Amino acid sequence: MTMNANVGAMPQATTKEGEGPFETKYMRVNVGPQHPSTHGVLRLVVDLDGERIARIIPQIGYLHTGFEKTMENRTYQQGVTYSNRMDYLHGFGHDLAYCLSAEKLIDAQVPVRAQRIRVILTELNRIASHLVFFGTGLLDMGALTPFFYTMREREDILDIFEMVCGVRMNYGYFRVGGLSRDIPEGFEGAVRSFLASFPAMLDQYSTLFENNDIFVNRTKGIGIITKEQAIDYGLTGSSLRASGVGLDYRKAQPYSGYEDYDFGVPVYPTGDVRSRFWIRFDEMKESMKIIRQALNRLEPGPVKDPDRRISLPPRSELENSMEAVIFHFKLVTEGFHPPRGEVYVPTESARGELGYYLVSDGGSMPYRVKVRVPSLINLQSLEPSCIGGLFADMVANIASFDPVMGDVDK
Amino acid sequence: MALADLFTHDIQELENEGILFSNLEKLIAWGRSNSLWPATFGLACCAIEMMQSTNSRNDLARFGSEVFRASPRQSDVMIVAGRLSKKMAPVMKRVYDQMPDPKWVISMGACASSGGMFNNYAIVQNVDSVVPVDIYVPGCPPRPEALVYAVMQLQKKVRGEAFDERGVELPMVEGWSR
Amino acid sequence: MSLVEQVVDQLKARGGKPGEFKEMVSVTVDKETLVDSVEAAKNAGFAMISDIFGIDYLEYPGHQGKRFTVAYNLYSFEKNERIFIRVNLEDGETLPTITHLWKGANFMEREVYDMFGVQFEGHPDLRKLITPEDLDGHPHRKDFPLGETPTLFNDGRFLDPAAFRAGMTGESGGLTGFTGGARKGVRSEQGREIISHETTGEGGQT
Repeated sequence: MTMNANVGAMPQATTKEGEGPFETKYMRVNVGPQHPSTHGVLRLVVDLDGERIARIIPQIGYLHTGFEKTMENRTYQQGVTYSNRMDYLHGFGHDLAYCLSAEKLIDAQVPVRAQRIRVILTELNRIASHLVFFGTGLLDMGALTPFFYTMREREDILDIFEMVCGVRMNYGYFRVGGLSRDIPEGFEGAVRSFLASFPAMLDQYSTLFENNDIFVNRTKGIGIITKEQAIDYGLTGSSLRASGVGLDYRKAQPYSGYEDYDFGVPVYPTGDVRSRFWIRFDEMKESMKIIRQALNRLEPGPVKDPDRRISLPPRSELENSMEAVIFHFKLVTEGFHPPRGEVYVPTESARGELGYYLVSDGGSMPYRVKVRVPSLINLQSLEPSCIGGLFADMVANIASFDPVMGDVDK
Repeated sequence: MALADLFTHDIQELENEGILFSNLEKLIAWGRSNSLWPATFGLACCAIEMMQSTNSRNDLARFGSEVFRASPRQSDVMIVAGRLSKKMAPVMKRVYDQMPDPKWVISMGACASSGGMFNNYAIVQNVDSVVPVDIYVPGCPPRPEALVYAVMQLQKKVRGEAFDERGVELPMVEGWSR
Repeated sequence: MSLVEQVVDQLKARGGKPGEFKEMVSVTVDKETLVDSVEAAKNAGFAMISDIFGIDYLEYPGHQGKRFTVAYNLYSFEKNERIFIRVNLEDGETLPTITHLWKGANFMEREVYDMFGVQFEGHPDLRKLITPEDLDGHPHRKDFPLGETPTLFNDGRFLDPAAFRAGMTGESGGLTGFTGGARKGVRSEQGREIISHETTGEGGQT
């Protein structure tokens, strides 16, 4: 509707400098949205100079769902059902970021037990997400076996999630103000047995590809992103830490009790695909440390903010108290009303910096929800890493940034 | 067993000897149903559960879906796993058109079947408006066991053993009746 | 003096207006000084850009001023501080691009263009990013409809999803018809006064 000369069609295929009477045009290849190796519906238009990539244009939007506008038409508590479907591999990370923003807006006090359980679940989900990263990343490079190994461990983690909230994926467990209900009895035992068996599995995975010539040749020195380039392109998360910048929001601006835990943040200086693979490997080990510490500190207590304006009252109270019934009615039909204002809480998801910018107008639905999604911004880093490299390395590059198209297209 | 025994002996006796009788249509349907190769059309969260249905715990390969072919020209069934956005709909139609007959479509998940929780400007509200759907799988996301059950129902349909609530046989390939 | 305070002073010298809400510092600058302000913040130490996004204040109750706001979310890794630089603009106004400062601003500005229609002068490749090519309009504007299709039930009933939610904003009674009592935080309608979010004082707590 507001088109002018500035806004045009996709850039034309690049032309090389003319050599005498000949003019070389780069070949334009379309790596279409339906593709086994693009990690979802990502379309790349690649200009090739022989086998070298001269230009790469990501065309996205094939999974655009209109999350932000839909969340502006749902109450705050209903927003939790939408947030985890964006980045479906690290759903708890999105839930946590959204709940933190909403809680900051309404000044909710999340009890300590709820914070610790949230941390345990988010870190377990981070491990599950990195397992999918390994499985599919190596699958893209041609290794079929690690996929089945990593999926086996992921099934164990999904069993724990199913025990807690009934679903393996796309959870509805976090609430603004805490959790929807307490964890069941077998949770601690299941998590501990997982933590006991997982390190041996990690060793198993590393033997599969650590010294494999094909893996090393396909990843070492490929797709190097320097520190300056990474900051220039707005890269965040594990890929940034693999280029030498040690930014981790769990340490820099801790939330939900992360300041209590003792864990390291791996930083690699090289910035190639190999370091981006191994950094997530190390992050899984650090996540295990966090889970163990949080589990050891679990104490009995409430799991919801006791403020009746935010959390539903327990059902036993509904029989006795008229006020509880009124609170229940207001919360279910209308939802709570935060004061006017705008908040942003940055968190660290498995993919990078994730934050929900919530604008409240005093109503029961957020006025504006802006999700700062890591994968969309990280996708721009395909430019410095792929250009100049071989076309066959592009697949390894895409896999190393770990994009999730639900996260990219929102 | 002499050749003349084929005409004189009872069918039961012949079956015990290892000779089966059928017609060509049933034989081809049996072969088709037990080797449905899906085309990779994973879009969103349901794609992850589809991947999980191929892992060692819920093994879809034992039902015949041995490989997920990347090229639609080599596949039989398209499992639309995930929310179909309006930008992706023409691409999906193109991929569906490239599949050779006979082909089937399983609409996996709430978003593919009805738009799911996304009732807005960006999501196609029913994949059936783009491609003819044979089996709908509810869930958000459906468990891998649910997808396996859906594949088994599709196998029944391919063999001609599927009936609707009035007892009318459902067509083996939905696309041929459109 | 923290980095944020330094930069706020620098920007105030250029005519910026600071604001703060729950420890989040923002500075509203004019369109003309936008690139200078952002560059000054970057040189002072805010080396990383987190996000560029837009807000449409068309239906914000009690909003005075221009309709759109584009905010720049900058972060300093060394000092661990964050600042938001905001610029207000009307429909049809254009903004200068900052892709020469950070290449990562490319997709961010394209998304603001796609969702709000704000054009960035000097952007190398300003096209739609996420929405389909044949979608006319800019979805995150408040006058762009959500596009809900009504739900059809087997017995022929039509259910309009917007009617469900009208009750929640307080604009109408919704499906329950309840319009009495203190409905707080309503969006404004022509002629109706806006009820603030404070309690009415008659014991009607939420």
